[in-house]
Amino acid sequence: MSKDWKSYKPLLLPDIQNLSSIGVYEKNDGYKALKDVLKNKKKWTPENVTNEVKNAGLRGRGGAGFSTGMKWSFMPKPDGGPRYLAANGDESEPGTFKDRQIFEDNPHLFIEGAIIAAYAMSIDVVYVYIRGEYRPYLRMLQKAVDDAYDKGYIGKNILGSGIDVEMQLHMGAGAYICGEESSLMESLEGKRGYPRVKPPFPAQKGLWGRPTTINNIETLANVPLIMKNGADWYKKIGAEGHAGPVLYGISGHVNRPGVYEYPSGMLITDLIDEVAGGIRGGKKLKAVIPGGSSTPPLTAEAVQGTAMDADSLREVGTMMGTAGLVVMDEDTDIVDVVTRISHFYHHESCGQCTPCRDGTGWLENTLQKINRGDGEMRDLDLLLNICNQMEGRTICALADAAAWPVRFSIDRFRADFEAKCKKTVYALS
Amino acid sequence: MPEIFIDDVRYEYEKPQKVLQFMLDNGLDLPFFCYHPSLSIPANCRQCLVQAGTPVRSRETGELELDEEGNPQIRFFPKMMTSCSLDMADGMVVKSHKTSELVKRAQADNLEFILINHPLDCPICDQAGECPLQIQTYKYGPEGSRFEHKKVHKPKMYQLGPRVVLDAERCINCTRCVRFTEEISKTNQLSIISRGDKNYPMTFPGETFDDPYSMNTVDICPVGALTSADFRFKARVWEMNQTPNLDVTNGKGCNVDIWTRDNIVMRITPRYNEQVNDYWMPDAGRLGYTFINENRVSKPHIRLDGKEQAKTSWNNALLTFAEKIQEFNPDEFLLLGSAYAPVEDNYAFAKFFSDLGQADVHFAPHIIPGSGDNLLLSDDQAPNTNGCRYLDFNETDEKQLATELKSDKYKVVVILSDDLLGRSYFDEKLLDDKFVITFATNHSATTMASDLVIPITCSAEHAASYVNIDGRIQRTTPAKETLYTSRRLNLEMSLARLDHYGTKFDNWVKDENRVDCIPAWEFIVRVAGELGRDIKYTSSREILTEVSDTISTFNGVTYQQMDDEGGILLQSTAKVTQ
Repeated sequence: MSKDWKSYKPLLLPDIQNLSSIGVYEKNDGYKALKDVLKNKKKWTPENVTNEVKNAGLRGRGGAGFSTGMKWSFMPKPDGGPRYLAANGDESEPGTFKDRQIFEDNPHLFIEGAIIAAYAMSIDVVYVYIRGEYRPYLRMLQKAVDDAYDKGYIGKNILGSGIDVEMQLHMGAGAYICGEESSLMESLEGKRGYPRVKPPFPAQKGLWGRPTTINNIETLANVPLIMKNGADWYKKIGAEGHAGPVLYGISGHVNRPGVYEYPSGMLITDLIDEVAGGIRGGKKLKAVIPGGSSTPPLTAEAVQGTAMDADSLREVGTMMGTAGLVVMDEDTDIVDVVTRISHFYHHESCGQCTPCRDGTGWLENTLQKINRGDGEMRDLDLLLNICNQMEGRTICALADAAAWPVRFSIDRFRADFEAKCKKTVYALS
Repeated sequence: MPEIFIDDVRYEYEKPQKVLQFMLDNGLDLPFFCYHPSLSIPANCRQCLVQAGTPVRSRETGELELDEEGNPQIRFFPKMMTSCSLDMADGMVVKSHKTSELVKRAQADNLEFILINHPLDCPICDQAGECPLQIQTYKYGPEGSRFEHKKVHKPKMYQLGPRVVLDAERCINCTRCVRFTEEISKTNQLSIISRGDKNYPMTFPGETFDDPYSMNTVDICPVGALTSADFRFKARVWEMNQTPNLDVTNGKGCNVDIWTRDNIVMRITPRYNEQVNDYWMPDAGRLGYTFINENRVSKPHIRLDGKEQAKTSWNNALLTFAEKIQEFNPDEFLLLGSAYAPVEDNYAFAKFFSDLGQADVHFAPHIIPGSGDNLLLSDDQAPNTNGCRYLDFNETDEKQLATELKSDKYKVVVILSDDLLGRSYFDEKLLDDKFVITFATNHSATTMASDLVIPITCSAEHAASYVNIDGRIQRTTPAKETLYTSRRLNLEMSLARLDHYGTKFDNWVKDENRVDCIPAWEFIVRVAGELGRDIKYTSSREILTEVSDTISTFNGVTYQQMDDEGGILLQSTAKVTQ
């Protein structure tokens, strides 16, 4: 990536006062992309919008990093029945806190993106699923949506174009699993948040059995940028193959934790040392979780020279996830951290599939045992074994998300684990 | 024809279905818990994982791509698939535990997970012996557990509803019960509450699980989490005899199994019949077994000169009956057949009297409008209403019967197994000046008003056929011994472990639970013999053969065919009403 990240001007969260009010947003070229698209419907047919997003190389910001334009193109041809867009604002992964910045500081950018996305997929209803704990942000977004309705950016016959899109906000009840796209749909339908078996995929049978696309809030907020400036411009931002601005949520042992917008492909060391002001108390780095608690942690050595984009992170054995970095200094007890993470997944497992329901509890119990000093060496092998038994055998990815931190922590910080385990002498058999 | 390869064996199929169902249909074993053929597929237990792959086709030509040896290349799914939700495809290759180490390990791993929070209280669990979890753990499970922590604790002995008790710790969250109330009984009374390993099925706050079909959840529960409040702790499954029979508490004729121990019916469970009741039956039918055990008429009863009834010998009953036949003209007999008695009894009854000269047989249907539903409860309370119709009995009603009884025409009333007074069909006083003979299984208001009571076998004690509200003729097999039948001598009766290996002196086998009764037709045959009439049946099978030979509606009907085809739908010109 280019070294001029220091001169980068934020696009998603630009430095403008009161951008969340619709007047200020409009003055700063707000809703211009939407107007352009709807005015030139000949040029910007839904297919062309989808292709533009595909060409821009926008990848989902919710964790999996799938090509957004590709996802949109999976939607079947309109058949006259209802079609849905579900905007996923259920960010509940520990270490992730970026979407709420959009709700707070630039909600109209997201709304504009969502309406363009709805147009591109001939969708008439957009549901925004917001995390149960985000009550204040729900209020902020509701205000923005109400304003956009008043100005005719949402609703019937948007800007005189004959396009109707409704937007409905929905508050979750505080379950992590509802951030998984299919359980999000179950939850929206008023059911218990259980992930669905795929196939059928949401594009074929989603909400109420109708074609549905689920996109992350940040992903949709990127859409107006692409439509305003073109795919070629967008493609040049950040790393190759993972273009665009990224909201990095940096937390942990740094001097200035927070959400920072920079291009993708930032060096992790730059993010820690320069963006976040270095490690607290001048300590040394021990570990970094790059993209929310479910992504495998990196050792200090692995962090050196590693950039925040899908390919670079895959090389060092982790994932971009939500770009929520958790930085840990040399005093950190990794066992304690993993125990806490395991507790989270144990608590949040929906309980549908056996391996996850019972595996997460077993992981936590065993880690607790090691953490309080009662562990034995064989418990480490047991933990890895449980991970083997969980990974890839469940309906959704929560079992993987629960197993990876444990597996890779033991892999990469085995000495820390062994130090906490009792020295066991096995009799030779 | 499309083909599929399962564990290196080739199978052809016509209609694609789910791989698990196809394997089960072909007698291949695969462990599973949450899947149920009549419910939706949640794929949540993860026990039926298999490796599966489909042949690779060339993008350009659509032809199969071949490997060096000329076999189609197979692209396997990256993860193991749940066979319950996996659709079959032409050329698909499936590897189960028989050919794949990975699948074998996954099955053991999954069972290890299921068992870590399962109480393992099989010795005191009602499900033991018929528990899918127990069976599959023996077959596919790990050798032991590596779990060293405290199990999760949940409510135990929780009364979900009047008929179902929950032990949440045993629950493995397969959601079969929840799906049953959502999809079959449609009451939506159950849901899973809480999350992760703490979750279990529960009613919504303040509600009770009083679904009229609630006890089906006990059957489909793959562990002992849901138990029947009635049957709990009463018997171990391996001590009981399981005999196919019918639900005679309403007109639907649900197929059931009667479970007896020491000649007492312990419980009734539904038996699969796609054309009648699928896997289900109403709770009322299950709990209606008490009439088989209790309050039975044992030994003939006769009213002496005074008011009191007294037990009498079979010989005396026989002679009294024959005496009445000789004393009165045939047209002085009012004959009431019964929708509660099987076709064979009704036929022999009618045949005997028409032979004497009284061909006019009435029957009183027992229909309570509004008591049925669209599932398995019918307005018709009796199991054989259509059987009586097909035998051309005169369908009577309260008014008509009262008029007949008030007239001086009749001196003797013969009632075949129907508690007409109990259901207030007519006033008891109308019987005052008549001699009343009742064939009955149980003591009732009608038997109390009778002068002669002949104890007869009930549906659990004889082989006999019943025609349900849809016109389907089905039959029972004897599940319970009478004083005159023996499980070891009657080839139709099922033999349990105790019957095979126990002895007459085992202290749990007692004779006191055998009722002194005979089938109604048998008594009629004896009376006919006494009177020198030519009615000589030796079995109900013989009667049915005669029925099918002489009555066109029953043409060609045999016990064998009923057994093979789950009953036979009769094509009748007679009016079929519900």
